[in-house]
Amino acid sequence: MIDNGLLVQMLIGALLGVSVYLPLAAGQLSLATPAFYAVGGTLAALLSTTWPALGAGADGSFPLASFLLELLLGGLLAGALALLVGRLVLRLQGIYLAIATIALVEIVRVAILNLPFTGGAIGIFGIPQPFPTAAGYLLPALGLLALAGWVCQRLEVMPLGRAMAAIRNDELAARCMGIDTTRVKLTAFVLSAVLAGSTGALAAHFLNTWNARQGSFDTAVTMLAFVILGGSRSWLGPVLGGLLLTALPELLRPVGDVRLVLFGLVILLGPSVFPQGLITPGLLERLGRLGERAEREPQT
Amino acid sequence: MTMPPLLEVQDLTCRFGGLVALDRVSFAVQPGEIFGLIGPNGAGKTTLFNLISGVTTPTAGSVLWRGAPITGLPPHRLNRLGLARTFQNLRLFDGLSVLENLLVALQRRPRSGALAGLLASPSHQQAERQRQETAWQLLEELGLSRLAEREAGTLAYGDRRRLEMARALATGPQVLLLDEPAAGLNPSEKDDLCQLIAALRQRHQLTVMIIEHHVPLLMRLCDRMAVLDFGVRIALGSPEQVRRDPKVIEAYLGSGSTQSGSGGAAP
Amino acid sequence: MIETLLQTLLNGAASGGVYALVALGYTLVFSVLGVINFALGALFSLGGYLTYLLMGGAISANGGLPGWGLPFGLPFPLALLLAAALTGLASLGVERLAFTPLRRRNAEPLLVLITSLGAGLVLVNLLQMLMGAEGYAFPATALAGLPDAVVLGGARIRSVQVLLLAVCAAAVIALTLWLERSRSGRALKAVAEDATTARLLGINSDAMLRLAFLLSGALAGLGGGLIGVSISLPGPYVGIGYGLKGLAVLVLGGLGSVPGAIAGGLLMGLAEALVPGEASGWRDALAFAILFAVLLLRPTGLLGRRLVEKV
Repeated sequence: MIDNGLLVQMLIGALLGVSVYLPLAAGQLSLATPAFYAVGGTLAALLSTTWPALGAGADGSFPLASFLLELLLGGLLAGALALLVGRLVLRLQGIYLAIATIALVEIVRVAILNLPFTGGAIGIFGIPQPFPTAAGYLLPALGLLALAGWVCQRLEVMPLGRAMAAIRNDELAARCMGIDTTRVKLTAFVLSAVLAGSTGALAAHFLNTWNARQGSFDTAVTMLAFVILGGSRSWLGPVLGGLLLTALPELLRPVGDVRLVLFGLVILLGPSVFPQGLITPGLLERLGRLGERAEREPQT
Repeated sequence: MTMPPLLEVQDLTCRFGGLVALDRVSFAVQPGEIFGLIGPNGAGKTTLFNLISGVTTPTAGSVLWRGAPITGLPPHRLNRLGLARTFQNLRLFDGLSVLENLLVALQRRPRSGALAGLLASPSHQQAERQRQETAWQLLEELGLSRLAEREAGTLAYGDRRRLEMARALATGPQVLLLDEPAAGLNPSEKDDLCQLIAALRQRHQLTVMIIEHHVPLLMRLCDRMAVLDFGVRIALGSPEQVRRDPKVIEAYLGSGSTQSGSGGAAP
Repeated sequence: MIETLLQTLLNGAASGGVYALVALGYTLVFSVLGVINFALGALFSLGGYLTYLLMGGAISANGGLPGWGLPFGLPFPLALLLAAALTGLASLGVERLAFTPLRRRNAEPLLVLITSLGAGLVLVNLLQMLMGAEGYAFPATALAGLPDAVVLGGARIRSVQVLLLAVCAAAVIALTLWLERSRSGRALKAVAEDATTARLLGINSDAMLRLAFLLSGALAGLGGGLIGVSISLPGPYVGIGYGLKGLAVLVLGGLGSVPGAIAGGLLMGLAEALVPGEASGWRDALAFAILFAVLLLRPTGLLGRRLVEKV
């Protein structure tokens, strides 16, 4: 059943999909999103449970303003980490970059597991709630997604976005056309991290508990699947992929453990059956033309 | 009053492992000239371009821009200085449209900030309009207007070649490096190319360096030429001088025309 | 003092040996195909569980067929070898399902990476469905006849560690000899060096590719069985952890280098073993910190080849 709780989870999936999409749009296969997601979530979990100034109530409530602040801070912290690490990591190409980001995810995961204040294997629980029900999270999640989508949409008609697309097509040629590819790649990487960090902060509150398992290698695989299945040519692809693939295991829950196998099959067969994902460039073109026609239609 | 040459290479050497691709090559290119670079396969011509355009770093020697050293600068810095190139194997942004290929190259003409872009501010829109205008002008000039929305990867070969040149031009260079621009073109297309390059030099006040295999084309087009063989410069001068140079003849025809022996080739 | 040091070094070498097996598994496929087989970790788990079942172990109460077990129980060495062979066959299946369709279509390496991840995910979850998610300890009879510990140089060492090291060393030596001396081994090396020339010389590179997958799976499966008997199988995801560490070793040693994988594995194992007990939780991060450092300082690893892009 698709209830509000599942909807929020689906939106979180969509957000993480866009986060993985951003470096990919600049031709970089980065699997670092879970690390930034974990960082943002841990920050929110820690702040809300240990900083009284934020106003966590004894009844488990939490002021909306503090919640929004945490979204911001989670994003900023993740972004700062990305800035630090990105310069080093983005010098690497192709598979080396992917492996380096996998390593980053693992290091962050183990750090969160072992640092004295992050709750160890059990994690942090009893994270206060800014909303009484799951439905309350829908608006912030949608808001975050709308923000992310707006940025992605604007990128397509901006020098920065075009530079990303150029790098994706041919990095050397892009450099020879005057593009500082390191800077562009870093920007995409940091944007991706900020989004993941904010999403983590939101998720920590939504899930009420947070531990090191939230950001691990298999979550990276899942998010990658969102992009691959949804289509990597446009940000709509990972949104669709994230929504679908998050809903799928839940909808298949009655089937038991088979759902994870089916999930794996989707990832296994997806690239063969849908090499361009579901949101193909052809589909995008048709949608674009529909949009143009709608604009030209006279008002009656 | 002597102005330094626009572009100069001094004792440029490039070694890959045990192989010497370029061995102390030197010459200077004057502003406004069309300078040709010829030589048999494997002579090091593309390596030279790669060194000049910052794609590869030389083992020794230097590249000078208006007398100042630019050796080892990254390609994007060199492009911003005013140096643009095309690639022998064509490196278009195949997934982007023809127009977008140019818009990418027009990033800084004029520049507009990221924040302005995100907010769709008037300054961004103004800059965008200028970029579009320049792009369309170039498309017109290179005969690609009707293909503007087509995906670059779907174009016919001759159009791809012209797009590669248009894109390099879009970066607003002073020096244009063309790597085998006539490869795969038929004779009439080669003629058109000749005229195009001459016209572009005029209209955009360019200095052009061309690598070509098809020597007669360069003979017509170039003001001066350098000849490479096995990484060594074996001749430099006007097309006439180069044509009659016995070392050049030998390099291209092998040692068959004179008695056999040392082939005049560097190891 | 000396005893603990010796024990530590031996532990390190033993786990390093297992890492080397996994890294060699990656290396074989990488050197022929140029891609990383992300399903290798899952194959590691498979090898562990197959070894368990072949020794007559029964599926636990949480598994798909609770209480089921094979009607016979093989002695450990036989079970191990058979499990490795079967895992090799499974690896061939992965090749057929995940790699071949995309290779035929000349797909981007990224897509191949995804499908192999997917294959690994399917495999691990199938294992989970069948065997359940909790830990399995191998039957105590596995190492019957082997003394609990041996005495080396006046120190008592757990014999299972010696066994681990011995088997890994044997496998590595066998592999290396085969690659250098045998016809098919040299053919595989030839394809790894230069596929086009190899084909011109009449070597069937498709067959060599399948051979690489077979061996790579067998090595991973061997590792799984060894870990199973020496520590236990904590769950189907155990292979994922070893798979990732093996990846770190692969990069450390240099992609595509067999001696690099061996040296890297040993180094990694020793480095981990030398982490003091109080910080043992950080042990996992060490491998990845080393990986990170290697990628930043010397991406080609200790002994790897430099990849040059043609302009």
